[in-house]
Parts: sequence; structure tokens; C-alpha cells
Amino acid sequence: MREGWSTAGITALGELLSPSRLTGTAARMSVQLFLVVCLWHALYSDTETSGGLDEGQAVAYGVLAVLALRLRDTDRWIGRDMVIQQIEFGTIVYWFLRPLAPWRYYLRRAVGDQLYGFAWAAAGYVVCLLAGVMDPPASAGAAGAFAVTFLLGQSVLYYLVLLTDQMCFWAVRNDSAVEILQFAQNLLSGGYAALWYFPGWFQTMSALLPFQATLSVPLSFYVGRLPVDDLPRHLAVQLFWVVSLAALTRLVWRRAEHRVVSQGG
Amino acid sequence: MRDVQELVQGPGGPRRGDARRPDMRVTRHGDLRLTRWADLRLTLRIVALTFRAQAEYRAEFLLKVAFGVAWQVSIIVFAAVLLGRFPGMGGWPSDAVLLIAAMRMLSHGLFELFCGRATELSTIVQAGKIDAYLLRPLPVYRQVQLSIFPSNALGDLLVGVSMFTSAVVALDTAWTPLRVAYVGAAVAGGALMEGAIFTLLSALQLRLPAGLSWSRWVEELLSTFGNYPLKILPGVVNGAFTFILPLAFVAYFPAATLTGNTSGLGVPAALAAAAPLAGLAGFVGSRLLWNFALRHYTGVNG
Repeated sequence: MREGWSTAGITALGELLSPSRLTGTAARMSVQLFLVVCLWHALYSDTETSGGLDEGQAVAYGVLAVLALRLRDTDRWIGRDMVIQQIEFGTIVYWFLRPLAPWRYYLRRAVGDQLYGFAWAAAGYVVCLLAGVMDPPASAGAAGAFAVTFLLGQSVLYYLVLLTDQMCFWAVRNDSAVEILQFAQNLLSGGYAALWYFPGWFQTMSALLPFQATLSVPLSFYVGRLPVDDLPRHLAVQLFWVVSLAALTRLVWRRAEHRVVSQGG
Repeated sequence: MRDVQELVQGPGGPRRGDARRPDMRVTRHGDLRLTRWADLRLTLRIVALTFRAQAEYRAEFLLKVAFGVAWQVSIIVFAAVLLGRFPGMGGWPSDAVLLIAAMRMLSHGLFELFCGRATELSTIVQAGKIDAYLLRPLPVYRQVQLSIFPSNALGDLLVGVSMFTSAVVALDTAWTPLRVAYVGAAVAGGALMEGAIFTLLSALQLRLPAGLSWSRWVEELLSTFGNYPLKILPGVVNGAFTFILPLAFVAYFPAATLTGNTSGLGVPAALAAAAPLAGLAGFVGSRLLWNFALRHYTGVNG
């Protein structure tokens, strides 16, 4: 059991053994944060409030969005351990022959990746807060609501990514599906810009999809754009997505088992 | 599936003795190369083959086109939202800002069509395909570009052309032949500048697989900051986007020249107007550097 969880550290170890990649990540994140802060300050130079967000809230939202997107930015392609690569190389069959179930292995790798990304995001958050770049949470209640909804949001994101990876068992290629998911996640979750700026129809459409639950909801609690009283409703929506996607992906894992064929049949 | 090159060249590929064949020539460096006509025919044939190969995976093909459309539409939505919420970006009227976004999108579509594979060169390097490319009678850079048909470029161009047409029609200006020629050159120059940026980054990928992360990050920067008047940003950022990562030359400077919004550009108006030439110069320079990097490429076997 304990050995199984050591797989969670594979990505982090790989990154830590490559100083150039660590430096690159730090440089990219710093520049991205600086640019986002500049952009939102510039946009608010002639405006007090827009979409219900003032300048401080907009900057805090923008910074948190950059940090949150960092969680998913780990590059597993280089390590050749993505589902699509395993299927292309024919090595996916080993996932089903090991004593560790494939869905458990996938979960542990993903948890490790997200924790590694979280370490970067947390470090960036502390630096930004200490440097006075962004405001702290609107209230203690807002901080609590942010923490809970952020955790559930990451769970929703995990299942969405898993679902696109599972597509490989049927579609052979999933590059475009992954790109579309990343793009939809960035846009519809409010990663590019807070959904509060978008027209009503766009917000309604986003509310019907799971992406909003991954980023917009927790970040809106943080900056105080969503009142803490709304927490139960949003938690219910997030739980609905977590349970539904968990059930769906579990079912897909079972079906996928029957589609795995080793080279030569 | 049989290798595309094998299909084109036949089993065994070209041999030195084939130099007497009318479709082969020996360069002044002694390398065996195709004649220009054979070169063009081969290129078109590979494009047709890679298109057929892509179309074999129908769902993936349609998703790629859809991704191109979705990516470009998201830029329109994002630009429209920011323009609606924060009007008067740096004193630019909305139709002029939309022209920046439209020119960049069309340039990006052309870049994707002709040079887009440079972005993900490390995948080709990791698979060891570069070593094979070095043995074939086509320039390696072109083989990289021909390695896969850019289905997503079809979506990019579809939206890019529509958006560009709308922006040009909406712009309150007299379209003289000179302006029409300039806007055409500017779009081509923008595609070349984007090509220059990613060709340089792909030279890095010839040595470091992690260079892929840098390419993806720069792609994100271009789509986030390439569609608006950069003068709204602090001078240091403006300067960085002009002289370090020259995205100002992709659409911002040409649009400023066309619409007459040349104050506060951070460079003389004449330099901004020369953006198409800068794109061409940048691309030629990046290709020379790429060739230099390729000469120092080392395969897995040393």
C-alpha cells in the first residue's frame, strides 16, 4: 500500500532532478504573474468596478487563476507516462498486469502531480501576499469556503482529465480532446478572465457545465464576489459533479479493461 | 501504415547513383537534392498523404478542426468581453482594437498552416525521427513541417478569415490599393514573425526536450497579450514585447500604422510601419539559427 503511494512522487522527483526545468518553471510563473498583475491594473485605470469586481478583487482573482492553472501544468509527456503514450507504445497492458489496479495507479500519479503543482502555487501565493501584490481572503469565512470548494474543484478537474485520457482506449488518439478540454477548462472555468465579466448567456451556459466548479467558484469566494451564505448550494453542485464523474469514469475503466490487447493479441 | 517518405521515394530511398535521374541534382556542397519541380511535387504529395492519414482518424480530425475554431472563437469572446467592460483601451477605438485581434488571428492561422509543427519539435526529436530526416533529400525543417497535416489550422483560418473580413469592413478608413497591399503584407509578416519566434524556440527543443514547455508558454502569452494595444501596459512590459518577445510586430504595430494610432508605441512610427519587413527578417534569421542548431544536433547514439 505504502509502496503504491510512492508512485505519486515520480513527477516531483523527475522535476527535482532537473534544475533547468525547475528554473524554467519559476521564471515562467514569475513573469506570468507580473504580466497578469500589470494587465488588470491597466484595465482598471479608468474604471472603478466592473462585473461586480473592483481592482483589488480583479488582481487577486487573476493572480489566483495563474497559480491554480499551475497545478495542471506538470509535464508528464517528457516522462512518457501519459495514457496516450502507453497505448501507442503498447505498454498500457502492464497497467493491467501489476498488483496495483490501473485506476489506483492513475489516481496516485495524478494526486502526486497535483500536489507538486500545489507546492508551486502555494509558494507563489505566499510570495505575492507578502509582496503586497494581492489581497488576502475577503474574510475568514471566505477563506474557509475557498479551501473547501478549491479541493472539490480539483477533484472535478481530476475526473475531467481522466475522462479524456480514457477516451484513448476507444479513439486511439486524444490530443485534440485534451486540448479542447484544457481550452474549455481555461475559458469556461474563468481561468482567462473571471466569468463575472462575461454576458449573462455565457454565465448560464457555464453554470450548466462542470468547469465553473473547478476555478470560478473557489476564486469568487476568495475575493468575496460570492457570499459565504451561497456555500451550501455550490458545494452541492460540486459534489454532484464529483459523484457523477467518479461513477462514470469507474464504469469506463471497467469497459476499458476489455479493450486492452497486448501486441500480437 | 507505411512510412510516408517510403511511399514517395519507393523502397530504399534515393541513392547517389540516382543523380543522373532528371528529378535529382547534386548541390555545390555535394549533397543529393531534388530538383525544384520534383521538390514541389514531392511536397504536395506528402501534404496529400498526411491529409489522408489525418482523415483516417475521423473523430480526431474533426476535433482538431473544432479545436482551431474554438481557440479562435475564445479569443474573439475574450476580446469582446474586455472591450465591452473596459472601453477605450489606451485611447484606441473598438474597431481598431478588433483589427489587432483579427490580424493576429489570421496571421496565427497562416503560421499554423505553414510553420506550426515547430512548436512541438521535441516530440519528433524524442521519437528519433530527426535522425531519419537528416538522411532524406528534403530540407529537415520542411520535413518537420510536413510531418503531420495541420488540421487545426483549417479551423484557425476559418475563424481568422471571417473575423478579419468583419474587422476590415467595420474599420472606418479608405481602402486604397496601398493600404490593401500593406494589410496583406502585414498579415504575412505577422505569420512570419510568429514563425520566427517558434522556430527559435524549436531550435532549443533540438537540444532540450523541456523546451516544449517554453513554446507552449509563449503560445499562451501571444494569445493573451497579442490582441490588444500594448500601450496600456507599463513601458518595461511594452519594451519586452517589442524587443525580447517581438509580439508587437505581429499585429499591434501594423494595426497602429493602418489606423493612425501611432502615439505611445515606444518605437518610431517608421519602425512600426516596417513590421512586415521585420517579420521577414526575423524569420530568415531564425531559420539560419535553426540550421546552425541542426548542424550541432546530436542523436541518441552520439
